Amino acid sequence: MTGSAALPGPAAVPGRAGGAGAGLGLRGVGIGWRPEISGFVESLPELGFCEVIAESLPLSGPLPASLAALRERGIPVIPHGVRLSLGSADPVEPARVTRFAAAARITGAPVVSEHIAFVRAGGIEAGHLLPVPRTREALDALAANIARTQAELPVPLALEPIATLFDWPEDELTEADFLTELLHRTGALLLLDLANVYANARNRGTSPMDLLDRLPLDRVAYVHVAGGSEHGGRYHDTHTDPVPAEVLDLVTALCERASPGIMLERDGHYPPAAELAAELSAIATAAGRAA
Amino acid sequence: MTLRDRQEALVAALVAGGPLPDGFSPEPVQATAAALAQKRSGEVAKAWPALAAALGPDFPSLFTAWAVGRAPAGSAADGWAFARSLGADLPERAAGELAAAEVRFVLGPAGVRRRSGPALRRVPGGVVLQIFGRIVRLGR
Repeated sequence: MTGSAALPGPAAVPGRAGGAGAGLGLRGVGIGWRPEISGFVESLPELGFCEVIAESLPLSGPLPASLAALRERGIPVIPHGVRLSLGSADPVEPARVTRFAAAARITGAPVVSEHIAFVRAGGIEAGHLLPVPRTREALDALAANIARTQAELPVPLALEPIATLFDWPEDELTEADFLTELLHRTGALLLLDLANVYANARNRGTSPMDLLDRLPLDRVAYVHVAGGSEHGGRYHDTHTDPVPAEVLDLVTALCERASPGIMLERDGHYPPAAELAAELSAIATAAGRAA
Repeated sequence: MTLRDRQEALVAALVAGGPLPDGFSPEPVQATAAALAQKRSGEVAKAWPALAAALGPDFPSLFTAWAVGRAPAGSAADGWAFARSLGADLPERAAGELAAAEVRFVLGPAGVRRRSGPALRRVPGGVVLQIFGRIVRLGR
């Protein structure tokens, strides 16, 4: 199941360094800014960029002081939405889109991101990102919600495929084909989460490297990396555990073909600063960049 | 069945005790439901730190057992309803936290909203008073 760093097969991505995300200015290694680790994030001398949960930002500013300090240093801050529910059959709620667009403005972000997922249905909040069926009907619903959102956004939108423990019985398309078609229809960029690639392939009993090869890598805006752990024979993308070596192998494989900005997502059980710094160094090393 | 119907049935199965929708493999859906319950319990523990600390290692299983079949209402409301459900079993250490919530906010069907007037609650050995938004604890 582990991938080797030397990657044979359909290697070359068209336009290596000049992919769709090249003009966004997202370079090096970044991290998801969270209030609990704001001091640590500010202390990073080589921080390439960071992400903030869009729903946690005030509607009209000002930014939290820690984020404002990062912006003053010229570090891009990208709002990352988690509750738009673009994959719902119902139209995306206009107030949520307005809020998302406001987050883009107050951060001065070059891009914003959300998930290919739904988080509520029938008035019930799931409390987490859920997969949509990979069907034509779901593609239509997603494309419509993405178009509604893009119409209000001042900057490009990047879409992140999620980690899931299950697939829908009505699936008609593979994950790669569904994603390629969705990006083609919407013009959206790809927020590639390598931990999700690993988690989904592993839980389906398939090869993460094969899945990576089939994704539209020429659309990558930036990249997520996160840790996880195994329970009951399943790999859970927890964001509260160390990044596994297999995910770092995917970083290496990707960076042999492209050079996007890569960031760590950590959402709890925060380790001591030195440990978190070592995780960032490991990502930089895997990417073939100076730590 | 439309996409809307299927999504509703799946969310109900995952977080509100609904039946498994047709065609899904039970194990991975149950594993997801368990992961969602764990995440929900963690968020409630964050919103109700005294309650979680007072129940200690029993908190996740007690909360999760209570939450089965109850749709999530947000961590503030979920923790509140769970604390009330404990009745006389509510640990003394957590009573002040619940009283402080009750004098500041109202738990209604639409969630938690701020009280407009003053309020008073008894806690073991004293009272908690809210007036003009300030919380005062009298007694020990």
